[in-house]
Amino acid sequence: MHDVRATALQDRSAVPPAPAGRRLGRLTLDIRQHLSPWKQAAFLAGSLAIGLAISVAILDVAGIAPGTLLGELETVFNADSLRAVLVRAAPLVLVGLGAGLAFRVGFWNLGLEGQMIFGGIAAAGVSIYGIGPESTRLVFMGMAAAVAGLLWVLLAAWLKMRFRVNEIIATLLLNYVAVYFLFHLLYGVWQDSKTAFPQSQQFRPFERLPELGLGVNSAVAIALAAVLLAGWVVHLSRAGFYMRFISANPGMAKVVGISTRAITIAVVAASGAVAGLAGFVNVSAQESRLTQSFFDGYLFSGVLIAFLSRNDPIVVAVVGFLIAVLFVTGQTLQVFYQIPFTMVQLIEAIIVIAVASSEFLIRHRIRWTR
Amino acid sequence: MTLALELTGIRKSFDGVVALDGAVFAARTGEVHALLGENGAGKSSLMNVASGLYAPDAGHIAIGGLAVALAGPADARRHGVGMVHQHFKLVKPFTIAENILLANPRPHYRSGIQEIRAAIRAKAAELGFEIDPERRVDTLAVAEQQQVEIVKVLVGGAKILILDEPTAVLTDAEADRLLETVRQLARTGAAVVLVTHKLHEVKRYADAVTIMRGGRTVATLDPGKATAAELTELTVGQTAPLPVRADSGFGPTRLNVGGLRCARGDGQVTVADTTFYVRAGEIYGIAGVSGNGQAELAEALIGARVPLGGEIWIEGAGNVGSAPPVTRRAAGLAAIPADRYAYALAGPLSIADNFAVANVHSGHYGRAGLVDFAAMRREAADAVAAYDVQGVRSVRQKAALLSGGNAQKLVIAREFSRKPSVIVAQSPSRGLDARACAAVHERLLAARDRGAAVVLISEDLDEVLALSDRIGVMTRGRIAAEFTRPADRQAIGQAMVGHA
Repeated sequence: MHDVRATALQDRSAVPPAPAGRRLGRLTLDIRQHLSPWKQAAFLAGSLAIGLAISVAILDVAGIAPGTLLGELETVFNADSLRAVLVRAAPLVLVGLGAGLAFRVGFWNLGLEGQMIFGGIAAAGVSIYGIGPESTRLVFMGMAAAVAGLLWVLLAAWLKMRFRVNEIIATLLLNYVAVYFLFHLLYGVWQDSKTAFPQSQQFRPFERLPELGLGVNSAVAIALAAVLLAGWVVHLSRAGFYMRFISANPGMAKVVGISTRAITIAVVAASGAVAGLAGFVNVSAQESRLTQSFFDGYLFSGVLIAFLSRNDPIVVAVVGFLIAVLFVTGQTLQVFYQIPFTMVQLIEAIIVIAVASSEFLIRHRIRWTR
Repeated sequence: MTLALELTGIRKSFDGVVALDGAVFAARTGEVHALLGENGAGKSSLMNVASGLYAPDAGHIAIGGLAVALAGPADARRHGVGMVHQHFKLVKPFTIAENILLANPRPHYRSGIQEIRAAIRAKAAELGFEIDPERRVDTLAVAEQQQVEIVKVLVGGAKILILDEPTAVLTDAEADRLLETVRQLARTGAAVVLVTHKLHEVKRYADAVTIMRGGRTVATLDPGKATAAELTELTVGQTAPLPVRADSGFGPTRLNVGGLRCARGDGQVTVADTTFYVRAGEIYGIAGVSGNGQAELAEALIGARVPLGGEIWIEGAGNVGSAPPVTRRAAGLAAIPADRYAYALAGPLSIADNFAVANVHSGHYGRAGLVDFAAMRREAADAVAAYDVQGVRSVRQKAALLSGGNAQKLVIAREFSRKPSVIVAQSPSRGLDARACAAVHERLLAARDRGAAVVLISEDLDEVLALSDRIGVMTRGRIAAEFTRPADRQAIGQAMVGHA
């Protein structure tokens, strides 16, 4: 009797154990070959709706009823708030563009903040040393910022090509170098002598990006121009066509006669230049001086915007605007309802996860098999 | 003596392509049994059936005289069948002991790894291998990795040991040592199957040889009693009368490769001093057993690999050896690489994009600032029809959705749309069914008749023989012998396998 049971047990251990819950069936994942754009959009919209619903529920628990939330969102679209949103959106769109362009050629530019910092430093330098006539001072500042951002990213690109340094590490760590260089200036030669705060002296009026009327700042015009230019290159030009091949199959792109190296360098340089412009826009339109935190958080936001817009420059503009709405609404909620800023970040994160999971559903089919 | 392993009437096809067609094989305990045949003869497929990796469509497997149905490699292992694959199945960052434990699981890691270490030491001492179980696999030389694979199989208790092309990656001295060891193993009570295409190994080390051709077993005989010529003839088959073709006469030299040297990814020099020329209106076939440098040669010619030295001269462009691919393509080079999805197509992009990409640079599809996507789609649709690319619902669909043959037709449509003057084709019909294969050959011949210089690199001797005006046999990174049409199949076979 005893023996029989022992052998029975042994037999069972020889056979691989049955998966738990076998009677209920199991989930299987298939890779989808193709899904129509409409269905993809439906999945995306559905996931976004779920993400938003969860966010609303969390805010409800935190003491902000959905009704009040709706009211707050409405006020974002009155003229005053809209102006705040648009000024906020300009640098967001620019860093989103910077991230998206680099990602399109498979270069993980995580140095957006470093490039912004150097953009800001270059713009402030032009102001401090009074380079160029007053009438074109802003143009000089913008150009200097773009060139500075470009050079800073090319340093990482060169490290990658010459020494095979992973650009994720290189760009990310060069951010710290940029930050400490900024501090070096702000606590040293560029410190504002009037206030003794670690920031540069205020820009003169002709060094600040002007309002264009109707509550639209010229920062928005710069961002829009960059979006249209990038959109044209990506969607209509020969270089944009080649970029698709470089990201889809670099080996094949090279063999088929595409100058992968030149295009990659050019696009990465553009990415850095746009991030540098974001720094310029931020110091000139928002802060009116070089501060020690004007770049803070833009790396995460830039990567997020690029991800949500699938690196499409035109979509970047839309997503950048929506993120700005989220930020501005979040600020209002913070001030009037005393919710912590982490709550805004939480909502941001929930929406990212929702969109990311829609990506998964678009690529895979989940089936229940018995 | 009973048969250790017996396979009868094995059939196996992949996606309609028949790899094994009634193959028969039997090996006894105590013998080294060679399995000889050309590339694609079905040797590896048959042994993959024996080791449980492939389930046969039909046929019987008997081990030690008992009929078995193998559920997978683990099941085959339980029956004492162990296979050392041509491409090692080792996890590089793991130690030898960990790799062997992975293949021979024990219920508990700590006691299991101790047990495995002891077993490795015992087996290694028995075979005369110097193996430290604690070394990481990625620090081992190729020959040592192979020893690990063999020990892995033996620790699993294999009585039937299958070695798939074991000497392909070894130097001559290493190969001799290995085969000596293997023979010892057979003498001490194992059955060893040696898959190979090297005649001298068969003559020297095998007790019996089975020859395969075209998925069928041709003969089983005693290698001691057959001459090398007889074995060659059985391996490559009778010379088929070649179709007579009107010679269009050759033009000037279009491609001249001189003293070319290339290294593989791991640094080993596989193309050593390769020299040949191809004239306009000529197909130059490069035959040879795989792994003799053809892959690297093809990559160097199409610009995917920068050579270490030597010259690739193309008419109108000069020496393009280290120039980027764009230079040689501007001079009219077309590339039909063996690995379509590595070098010829971007799977995630549309058929239209893939078709048009090579002609965008010339301005054919609009200026740099504005690409004419409508023209791309229109011309891609025309090409899809002209080249009979099947399975296309829309030219906007992804290229990755095309089957192998149709993907190849798309590549050829693109490359030939540029009216190339030099064509480099590597195994252009690999994985294609008979009809698609014939279509590809027709296109190559038509290009030749138009006056293109064609380099055809293929491991399929029939293909090379049928198409080439001249044939170079590549062994160990050199063109070891050259033949002019009509070439003697036996002589080429000798040059391919009889060398060294």
